[in-house]
Amino acid sequence: MNKLETLKAGAALATMTLLAGPAAAEALFWSTQAKPVEETQAMREQVLAGFEGGVDYQGMDEGPWLTRIQAEMQAGSGTIAVLGGLHGDLSGLGEGLMDLSAIDTSVIGDAMLELGRLGTDQQLYVPWMQATYLMAANREALQYLPEGADLNALTYDQLIAWAAAVHEATGERRFGFPAGPQGLRHRFFQGFLLPAYTGSTVTEFRSEAAVEAWGVFAELWSHTTPASTNYSFMQEPLLTGDVWIAFDHVARLADAFNQRPDDFVAFPAPAGPEGRAYMPVLAGLAVMNTAPDAEQSMALVNYMLQPETQIATLRATNFFPVMPVDMPDDMPASVQAFAPAIATMTGASDALPALLPMGLGELGGQFSQIYTDTFEQIILAGRPVEATLDAQAEVLRALMVQANAPCWAPDEPSDGPCPVN
Amino acid sequence: MTEAGTQDAPPAPDRVRRSGRWVFVTGVGLLVAWVLVPIWLLLANALSAPAEVTAFPRSIIPSFDTASLEFFFGFRGVLDALWNSIQVASVTMIVAIGLGAPAGYALSRFDFPGKEAFRFLVIMTRAFPLPLLALPLAVMFIRTGLDDTILGLALVHATLALPFAVLITFSLFSGIPVELEEAAWTLGCTRLQAVIKVVLPLAAPGIAASAVFAFVISWNEVFAAAVLTIENRTLTAFLLQSLDVSPLHLKFAGGAALVIPALLFIFAVRKYLFAMWGIANR
Repeated sequence: MNKLETLKAGAALATMTLLAGPAAAEALFWSTQAKPVEETQAMREQVLAGFEGGVDYQGMDEGPWLTRIQAEMQAGSGTIAVLGGLHGDLSGLGEGLMDLSAIDTSVIGDAMLELGRLGTDQQLYVPWMQATYLMAANREALQYLPEGADLNALTYDQLIAWAAAVHEATGERRFGFPAGPQGLRHRFFQGFLLPAYTGSTVTEFRSEAAVEAWGVFAELWSHTTPASTNYSFMQEPLLTGDVWIAFDHVARLADAFNQRPDDFVAFPAPAGPEGRAYMPVLAGLAVMNTAPDAEQSMALVNYMLQPETQIATLRATNFFPVMPVDMPDDMPASVQAFAPAIATMTGASDALPALLPMGLGELGGQFSQIYTDTFEQIILAGRPVEATLDAQAEVLRALMVQANAPCWAPDEPSDGPCPVN
Repeated sequence: MTEAGTQDAPPAPDRVRRSGRWVFVTGVGLLVAWVLVPIWLLLANALSAPAEVTAFPRSIIPSFDTASLEFFFGFRGVLDALWNSIQVASVTMIVAIGLGAPAGYALSRFDFPGKEAFRFLVIMTRAFPLPLLALPLAVMFIRTGLDDTILGLALVHATLALPFAVLITFSLFSGIPVELEEAAWTLGCTRLQAVIKVVLPLAAPGIAASAVFAFVISWNEVFAAAVLTIENRTLTAFLLQSLDVSPLHLKFAGGAALVIPALLFIFAVRKYLFAMWGIANR
């Protein structure tokens, strides 16, 4: 080993790297959305390519995303131009965000704008794109649909009967549920199952109706493939054929429809006694006070709200526009399948929107953990339902008090923190 | 070896040897398969068309469809990120060994107050999870201008790699008899000369091995890389977060893109690794 050579090479390398400082003029778009490489690629090439000056789009996990933001806020200077994130990601950042009231948001619905104010009178984030969760099924499963059941107006009981019929006919459990570590299982309980039975996400957490709901889910679980505890994205087991009927976020089902459009159908979430509960998902755009060039950031936010950009975003991410736009005919198969299912679900006479948690700030993760824990204890560990709900309700109440968060829909508005009966 | 009825008579020596050989070959085969099968699956799937990756049953021979891999190398910034990763890992390696080897030598040759505490403290740097440290580090880096530089990230990675460098070189130097150095002194060497001319050549393979560790630690680290770099992303930070939520065929292609450079590097330095394990081939 020639030590001198090694040393020289090392010194050269060190000098080189010391000189390689930051040299960026592109606006940095720091986002928790469109993380999968294909979506990131599409965001860069199809959505953001038209922005003058260029955009460096970075899709990140929530952990590093938030850490970087906190670091820039604390340091008082930053490189991030625009933040993109779900309502829950952005709602904890409040104080560090700029007021975006100057941006023209007249075409966006009031309910969404209200969410973006985060309880203040400033527009701390503007709605960027929206999505929801849907059911998807392999066409082969349709023959086992129970008699008299309408795919577009299923109830939970019919869903169970259907999953049971498939189980019986094929000898395998073929209902699939994203209960993996990265899966969005908590959203199903918060926004679909519990509101459908209790008409509430928080207040009626341990009511008799909630006990019934968990009983219903336990029954469904007996026809659910055990591999579900590994699933994060239902599109994969749908494509491999392991799962015939599934629930997931539209962006996590899209690939199945795009790869084999003729094999799958999308349909609304089932209904319970209180209605057809569903959870709309809202992503927003925000600008930090430390943004290097506020004008450029505003221009980028504005650019993202143009109808053409919104349609390009839909193609890239399967998140739908936040404003009415004229859809072109050549949209991807997933959009064509989802659009009518979403319209049916949101327009159903028994539709019951259950919003994403509001006002919890950084406690949002713990809030979701309560629902995940309840699921794991009741369904996976087989603990008694009432006792588990009693214990978790205490945790939930303490959390609501700590966050001092008033109720959000579908719970009745409250004066203080949202009560847990 | 299925014949029965031989319990009474002791087995013939050549049969024992043959069964021993059989066990040996099976063991080797299993170990080789243990390493090669996952790599094979990774490469075979990376070289398959997307539809084949999810298809069942699948063929063992890939169809050499390069669409997934092409997507990766066409993905903006992959090559830059690869180059950044190599730079960060190299600087990490130099810093970790440059500081770690002298520390290891000092631990093995000198008695000084606080030696045990020092050994303990060195390991303590691994006791704090990076997500906890990343925020204050990032704030400090932004203030000092180290933010988003190769050097800044390499310093963090070197901190992670140092305990291994110190402990590996410590045991390495401890294994080299101090008498050899003493002999060199009696022949006129200074302390430093004795180290450079006598101890280092003997320790070189082991030092190279701990350098490989430092390289791999830096190569694999995600969280600090994701928080502390923006423009100068490393490959792992660049790909890993996107990969775990990407479709299967891209996971395989990305996995291959992450594994192959590391494999090549280890292949290049294998001589030193083998030498450390006593299978010298020089």
